[in-house]
Amino acid sequence: MTSSSKLPFPAALLKWPALASVAVLGLSGCSVANSDAGASSSNAVRVVLGQEPPTLEACESNLTSTGVVVRSNVTEPLIERNPQTGELEPKLATEWKATGDKEWTLKLREGVKFQDGTPFNAEAAAFTINRAVNSKLGCNVEGYVFGDADLKVKAVDATTLTVTTPEADPILPLRLSFLEVVPTSTSTTEKVREPIGTGPYKIEQWDAGQKITLSTWDGYWGDKPAYAKAEYQWRSESSVRAAMITSGEADVAMGLSPDDNIGDLGVDYPNNETVALRLDANVAPLNDIRVRQAINYAIDKEGIVNSLYQGKHKVAAQLVPQGIVGHNDALKGWPFDLDKAKSLVAEAKAAGVDTSKQISLVVRSAQFPKITELGQVLQEQLSQAGLNVKLKMLETSQHLTYQVRPFAKDDGAVALMTQHGNQAGDAAFTVDQYMLSTGAQSYFGTPEFDAMIKKADAASGDERKKDFEEVFAYQNDKVVQFAHISHQTGIIGKAKSVNYTPNSSSGDELRVSEMTPAS
Amino acid sequence: MLNYLRKRIVSSALPLVVVIVGVFALARMTGNPASLYLPLNATQQMRDDFTARNGLDQPLLVQMADYFGGVLRLDFGQSLRTGQDAAAMALRAFPATLQLAATTMVLAVLLALVVGCWAALKPNGVADRISSFISMAAASIPDFWLAIVGIWVFAITLGWLPTSGVSGASAWVLPIATLLLRPFGVLVQIVRGSMVSALSEPYIKLARSRGAGEFRVVTRHALRNAAAPALTVAGDLTVGLVNGAVVVETIFGWPGIGKLMIDSILQRDFAVLQAAVLLTAVAIFTLNILIDMGYALLDARVRPVTVKARVRPVAAKA
Repeated sequence: MTSSSKLPFPAALLKWPALASVAVLGLSGCSVANSDAGASSSNAVRVVLGQEPPTLEACESNLTSTGVVVRSNVTEPLIERNPQTGELEPKLATEWKATGDKEWTLKLREGVKFQDGTPFNAEAAAFTINRAVNSKLGCNVEGYVFGDADLKVKAVDATTLTVTTPEADPILPLRLSFLEVVPTSTSTTEKVREPIGTGPYKIEQWDAGQKITLSTWDGYWGDKPAYAKAEYQWRSESSVRAAMITSGEADVAMGLSPDDNIGDLGVDYPNNETVALRLDANVAPLNDIRVRQAINYAIDKEGIVNSLYQGKHKVAAQLVPQGIVGHNDALKGWPFDLDKAKSLVAEAKAAGVDTSKQISLVVRSAQFPKITELGQVLQEQLSQAGLNVKLKMLETSQHLTYQVRPFAKDDGAVALMTQHGNQAGDAAFTVDQYMLSTGAQSYFGTPEFDAMIKKADAASGDERKKDFEEVFAYQNDKVVQFAHISHQTGIIGKAKSVNYTPNSSSGDELRVSEMTPAS
Repeated sequence: MLNYLRKRIVSSALPLVVVIVGVFALARMTGNPASLYLPLNATQQMRDDFTARNGLDQPLLVQMADYFGGVLRLDFGQSLRTGQDAAAMALRAFPATLQLAATTMVLAVLLALVVGCWAALKPNGVADRISSFISMAAASIPDFWLAIVGIWVFAITLGWLPTSGVSGASAWVLPIATLLLRPFGVLVQIVRGSMVSALSEPYIKLARSRGAGEFRVVTRHALRNAAAPALTVAGDLTVGLVNGAVVVETIFGWPGIGKLMIDSILQRDFAVLQAAVLLTAVAIFTLNILIDMGYALLDARVRPVTVKARVRPVAAKA
């Protein structure tokens, strides 16, 4: 470096950082540890998710982050729910019917193979149900769809399967649509991170922390999808996901918000999520129905939807959106009437209710866009009605202790902001949890209301619809555990080069076979 | 020197145990992760099964004894989230952070040396004021904001760099630039300060009077003595990079330990969190020992008595 002294200072010094940085980058060969710096193939659709799937285990695919990759791409169910119509459609089962009080018989599709070359048959279907529902694996789908009930399954012959439930279950086929079929070679003692299925795509590679690549395989029983590969990456920041669409690094971005500047590359879709306050009616002042009614009148739902969500959400009058079996079209959102709210609070006060007692408004940080602002608006509007409201922002794990039994003890009454998505398409999945007096996410109910719910649960067809519609109406008239706010709209980012129309289940099940290159 | 090293390693072991015990206890005080891992409508039976399956029904001391027993067998438990080996997950993520931190720190030190020396040559001159402004700004810009603005300007508007990810050399630029600013800003101030005082020492005047060129005076004479404080601060700043890495890795999708830690905290993935903290703590202790040794080599006054003064090779005549 003696020549350095010939250079004027500090120009001579400038050589060092350049050299050093070249050396450091050179050492690492420009590639980041534990990454694959391979370029993507031309016939691949590139999807960016909000988080890496914790696992691709088929029996965990009711978890959004797992299902979005696995369902209908890698694995397939026996029966599939059409998200647009709510109707059940054949997939690996071609037909099904009730053949007894508690027994269903399914006819299975012939000529279907798993990605490992083994044939799909009734034995594999029975194995799948036993593994997910009747085993000690602790599958998420078991808790979500079946609870403690065990099913009896029997492979009658290669293409016939009977399923027997402990109690009559009119929506068993819908429940079965959550089970993704796996071959009998799958472990029954451990969960499997990379499943084998019958779907159009097999898992080609999973670079942990980095990327998942799926690719088509030749043995698929159905139509060959347009894209040979699907590549998944993940970024926690929604603005970065949106930027990847704008800069051409990704073709589809999930879970964007109106603030992400995605412009005309954003596609809105109803995402089945409903936002509401759940009111703890066991504790003063919320134990008086007038106070709960006052809260419903005090919330300016139109104003919230228009100012915070650019008019893209819909004012809600019940906990499930249109398209879910049991949604009551006749219900209208509570009108915004501050005077009425004030007089109801005054009435309750005159009747001896301590309306000055603090109500904790419990909100989960970052649960959905603008949630903090929404919490502040609600606190302000409820205060206007004469209530004493304190806003509590909590992270997920803390918030869950308020959301699910056994409930956290609070120093007062709790109004919990809840975002509920009914993925299953039937109101039972909502009311059993949120409205039965013993429901896992329900503060209280009444014996009459419980009886109504039980009756609806056991009904089928049109009677089932009508019963659940009555349940939602009764909730608003006589129970008022909820102050509904809005049915949400999701946004996905989509490059111009891809044709894809999202639907209400895209967030849980993103079917790559429905995507085609725009010519 | 070996004796000194042994003492340092022994004295580092206790804080390491304290860190592990602390993380272990604090993590479990945040409650049972069952509600995060089970469906919201899970029955009490399912919750009990989950708790028992993961040993969370045992008293805290029993859980801790089990854990330390496992650590001695190099078994750090399983991730609740992924079912994988916790140590493997931490070890897989660590090198990516190390690469990012090392590259950032080398660049920050070198840039700070150049800018700091340049500023120190004429205290209160134009260069000094410019560098002072730059360094203050660099040290105080929030990294989160800078990362998002960087993506907006360089990836979206100009299209020069990728928004995020790890493919290709260009993917390094934004994460490093974001992470670099704070240490660079702080170090410029340190280098400038110690250079200003070094350049006013009598031996510098002597060197100049002997006709040594300015470059030689600055690099050979002043910098040698001024580098020690900068090196120490650089070490502390490297520890701070772990915090910066959480933000940078989260935004840029960098598969490192910062992101792994934050995910494990949010998901109450105890085993992975403990493995990641343990690994990071060991790395920080190692770094501190290296810094102290480097400092000792640079500055005779803090040298442990066991270290023999090295005979300096005679510089070749230019």
